[in-house]
Amino acid sequence: VAKTSLSSPPWPEVKLPDPAEEAKHHAEVVRKVNEMIAAGQYGRLFAVVHFASKQWKITSEDLIMMDNVLEAECGDRIRMEKVLLVGADDFTLIGRPLLGKELVRVEATVIEKTESWPKINMRFWRRHNYQRKRITMNPQVVLRINTIEIFPCLS
Amino acid sequence: MVFLSAPRWLRSRLTDRFWRVQEVLKYARHFRGRKNRCYKLAVRSVRRAFVKSTKARREKKRFLRALWITRIEAASLEHGLRYPTFISNLHKSQVELNRKMLADLAIYEPKTFKSLAALAQRRGQEGFLAALGDGKEPAGIFSRIVHHH
Repeated sequence: VAKTSLSSPPWPEVKLPDPAEEAKHHAEVVRKVNEMIAAGQYGRLFAVVHFASKQWKITSEDLIMMDNVLEAECGDRIRMEKVLLVGADDFTLIGRPLLGKELVRVEATVIEKTESWPKINMRFWRRHNYQRKRITMNPQVVLRINTIEIFPCLS
Repeated sequence: MVFLSAPRWLRSRLTDRFWRVQEVLKYARHFRGRKNRCYKLAVRSVRRAFVKSTKARREKKRFLRALWITRIEAASLEHGLRYPTFISNLHKSQVELNRKMLADLAIYEPKTFKSLAALAQRRGQEGFLAALGDGKEPAGIFSRIVHHH
């Protein structure tokens, strides 16, 4: 068919690679990453962790402050289980949405439990003789991330 | 004997006026002009400052989210993807990173962001091909022109 403006669809042609070859390529990549993890050929690891209803990008020796209470005493070791992403220099492990517990281990220690600085909440309507002032001090918890470890159990 | 005029000499007088005034002036010390020294002007400025900080705490969340979206848009355009495509494809691939994380990864972990962009692009292509279908017409429908005699 001659090439006119309507002979082929107006969207660009999209071709996916062959599934069998893709599966082989994927298996190869997974094997290589497993070997790298088992051999320990990664530098510093970073992880994205879902904790206290927020997502944090953490490495080891990191300090984190949450704006609420934690039912753990100072000096307790804590394991963070909801890990979304772990990465090193050469590879990243992306969780869909979470990574397995046998794959990553993130440990943290509770360092201090304090109150925040006195935050001032004020409301004021002009010409109406209305002003309210409230001072809020939220409890805060400071954690130190000790280690992030990964284990070679990819499949 | 009861001294009746002694209680009249003991008035209740304000003794800690200095500290009450300092309570307000301490929040105004870094202001510009006479409102960092004079109580009457400082009271007004400090009140406005408190109200503004209260309202700003609510708007900071909106402002930061817009900033993250701008940054993710810029980073994904560097990899040839638009922001809505990127976010929707990431959601469809069950990656639940929020915009704050994506912006931080785009700044500090460029390789990771590139792999996320590749993941989103591949998911977009798969979705597009699934929507196109086989190229055949659905069963039971014919599209040639029917002549009535």
